[in-house]
Amino acid sequence: MTAAPPTLPPHVHGAMFLRLFAIQGAWNYETMTGNGIAFALEPALRRLPGGRGGPAYCEAMARQSGYFNAHPYLAAVAVGALARAELDGVPPAQIERFKVAATGPLGSVGDRLIWAGWLPFCSALALLAFGLGASPILVVGLFLGAYNTVHLALRAWGLRAGWRHGLHVAQALGTPVLRRGPAHVTRATALLAGLALPSAAVGIIGPGRVVLGLVLGVVVAGAALITALQGRIAGWRLAIIVLALFTFLSLVR
Amino acid sequence: MIEVLVGQLVPLALLGALLGLDVVAFPQAMVSRPIVAATLVGGFLGAPDRGLLVGVALEFFALEAMPFGATRYPEWGSASVVGSALFTSVADGTTGAMLLAVLFALGTAGLGGASMHLLRRVNAALAKRQQVRIARGSGSAVVALQLAGLTADVLRGGLLTGGVLLVALPAYRSALAAMTISASFSRAMVVGTASAVGLAALWKLGRTTPGAPWYLGAGLLAGFALAGGLL
Amino acid sequence: MTLELFRIDDRLVHGQVVIGWGLPHALGFLVVVDDAIAAAPWEQELYRMGTPEGMEVRFATVDEAAAALPGYQADARAGMLLTADVATMVRLVDSVPAVQQVTIGGLHHRTDRVPRLRFVFLSPSEETALRGLAARGVHVSAQDVPTSAPIPLEAVLAADGTE
Repeated sequence: MTAAPPTLPPHVHGAMFLRLFAIQGAWNYETMTGNGIAFALEPALRRLPGGRGGPAYCEAMARQSGYFNAHPYLAAVAVGALARAELDGVPPAQIERFKVAATGPLGSVGDRLIWAGWLPFCSALALLAFGLGASPILVVGLFLGAYNTVHLALRAWGLRAGWRHGLHVAQALGTPVLRRGPAHVTRATALLAGLALPSAAVGIIGPGRVVLGLVLGVVVAGAALITALQGRIAGWRLAIIVLALFTFLSLVR
Repeated sequence: MIEVLVGQLVPLALLGALLGLDVVAFPQAMVSRPIVAATLVGGFLGAPDRGLLVGVALEFFALEAMPFGATRYPEWGSASVVGSALFTSVADGTTGAMLLAVLFALGTAGLGGASMHLLRRVNAALAKRQQVRIARGSGSAVVALQLAGLTADVLRGGLLTGGVLLVALPAYRSALAAMTISASFSRAMVVGTASAVGLAALWKLGRTTPGAPWYLGAGLLAGFALAGGLL
Repeated sequence: MTLELFRIDDRLVHGQVVIGWGLPHALGFLVVVDDAIAAAPWEQELYRMGTPEGMEVRFATVDEAAAALPGYQADARAGMLLTADVATMVRLVDSVPAVQQVTIGGLHHRTDRVPRLRFVFLSPSEETALRGLAARGVHVSAQDVPTSAPIPLEAVLAADGTE
């Protein structure tokens, strides 16, 4: 299947690519991204024998709108692979097994690479820029430019790789960028964020820098407390309690 | 300034709608991240520097909550609009301004998370209504459901942002009038809390990756040296 | 630490598992127990792609897992055992009564299932099987990620999906 993939007309490929950006538009706890998968696949399925509304189209749409979930960017891989499988006439049972098997890994790889990797890296980059005194437009531009370069490339690559490899797309997911990339990005994020945190804190405190030593002590103690309470309460919820208490004391004093 | 802001409630709600939409539904380009969204709102209100300040504080908190598909997490798009709009509505140096703005933003993030949970239920109900057509393979039903979900999310973000601002603006002004702490101490409190949450999040992210805790430690040492130089 | 997490999750290896649980528990290995996947190399390859460097994933049939469980328990690393459905977990517990605790991490929509929690949908036969596990002394609860509170089985079965 991977030797010479049939070509998909550019306008179909383009329509699928654009629809990928809204793949989570009808996300729900029952079918999760399922409707979005069918939505993104729909332009390709019109090319099935009988065209739009034909029996093959309807059967494929019904099949593809069932339960599915994955990282939204890497769902592009599934969309490409499923489009190829449907147009190649792969038996429905095999397509169903692929959907079941792909949902976890496409979520896991994307979560590690993007949510736990590239997104915090870009945050750290922007925080460091702020700490070093960059202008608002530069901070925002740096974050959006860096983040979306990878975001857009990943969606585009995913759709192409899925289409090229069909249901054998695991080999494409074995690329070093996806296998070893998250660990490298995590290390880079750790370094950059460590570098950014103190200077960003100084940048916010500004004229009140005399209290910086106290703040840093609070940060270390607070981080240790949040880590110890991990699994019982999220840090941002704990922060609401602390800040609300502090506000209350300030008001009644 | 606050009176001016009330006049801008509708455009701010619209911004909240668009930024809230970006969190999950479309296009997830992370324009909704606090460091971006709060700065954009600050720019819209004529104070991008102050928007950036509150955005940076909220960004530390946002490092903690990753948007894994089916889990519940805070919604930072609308929250950033609220935090930035409040903070930029008062003069620089106002007592307790950042503390209260961040507190309102965090509350909005929690409400936003709950509203997304509700939206997912609405989407499920909408899907049930189209179930028969979708099971028959109707392409138009699939497209209609997708568009309905996107529209509902726009409404969710807009109503949330507008609703919170309507309540928060007068409450913010009243509370600020009664605050007794200095602006710098207020900021220090926010920074301390936010950085603690951010540092704990970074530790959690990095602790299982070989070498990452050392990179974090080395980065912090270099960061402190850099911050000392900045002082 | 050793293998102490037994999870039923139809997505098996995904973000909630490798990051949500993997990071705070420092998971070093996963055991996917599924007769069909144990016989399908292409599916195993897909699941392997979902695990990070430093986290091993093993595939086993129910019989193989039951035989290998003492070895998993003796592993110095923290581990999690996963099945995609209730029936497989029940078969495993039948073979290894030492399993004390089972977590429902995610069972999603299917036409024969009704919603109980936002991440748990159960069919009548699955509910009966879970009650059977609990009656044998296994502590059964539902919990998607460590930051959410575990929900006991009785509360899960009493819920109507509107929580």
